[in-house]
Amino acid sequence: MSENRVQGPVTVDLENGLHLVPCSRIAELASRFDCQIRIMKGDQEVDAKTILDLMTLEATCGESLVLAATGSDAQEAVHQLTKLFASGFEVSNGSDVG
Amino acid sequence: MKLTDFVVPEAILPDLRVESKEEAIRQMVGSLCTSGKIEPDDEEGILSAILKREELGSTGIGNGVAVPHTKHPSVTQLVSTVALVRDGVDFASLDGEPVHILFLLISPPDRPGDHLRGLENISRHLRNPQFCSFLKQAKANSDVVDLLREADDDQLE
Repeated sequence: MSENRVQGPVTVDLENGLHLVPCSRIAELASRFDCQIRIMKGDQEVDAKTILDLMTLEATCGESLVLAATGSDAQEAVHQLTKLFASGFEVSNGSDVG
Repeated sequence: MKLTDFVVPEAILPDLRVESKEEAIRQMVGSLCTSGKIEPDDEEGILSAILKREELGSTGIGNGVAVPHTKHPSVTQLVSTVALVRDGVDFASLDGEPVHILFLLISPPDRPGDHLRGLENISRHLRNPQFCSFLKQAKANSDVVDLLREADDDQLE
């Protein structure tokens, strides 16, 4: 059986970039899925389930990233994570404190 | 950006003995104040901003590590200190484990890039098990400074 791999682009729409709060939310959501989930910025690739990994992306506002999930629930994982990015992580843009 | 660019050597607390998360943060902010990197008039404001940030969600990110932080207009560049808690302190961490290594960061509000770079730098080194292991074994302020310098120079595995 071939591996179920799903990939999709996302953009960081946060004035302060991908700081600790959004990184925590990504890791928390990603950890609910069984599939392996990677986030790529250029040629850098990290584990979406690990906060320390995510913070090393140093992704600033407007930056384009790619989500890549591999496994049985990859489709739903990419869908939910894309929604999280599109929602602005439910943090207020100007007043958040990182 | 290097760890030794923003960690204040005189403010490092290599053997912090505290009973609570708030006490740990208070001691670290106090140490930055004693070192002269923040003004006494700003100490309470910075402390309450960091504690408010913790209310949004713990910065205890697992693996015995916490990165309490805030942005504050009283600093013009990234300022940080390190504390080591031998017995660990409850930080309401994401994995429920006590925290042994703390990096506290204060960054200027108008420079979000510096804040991200600081977090990136700290995270990159904390991913290295050898760095964490050596850090936990550090006994004196100078041991921590030496280790930060070695990490900056990529001398760790």
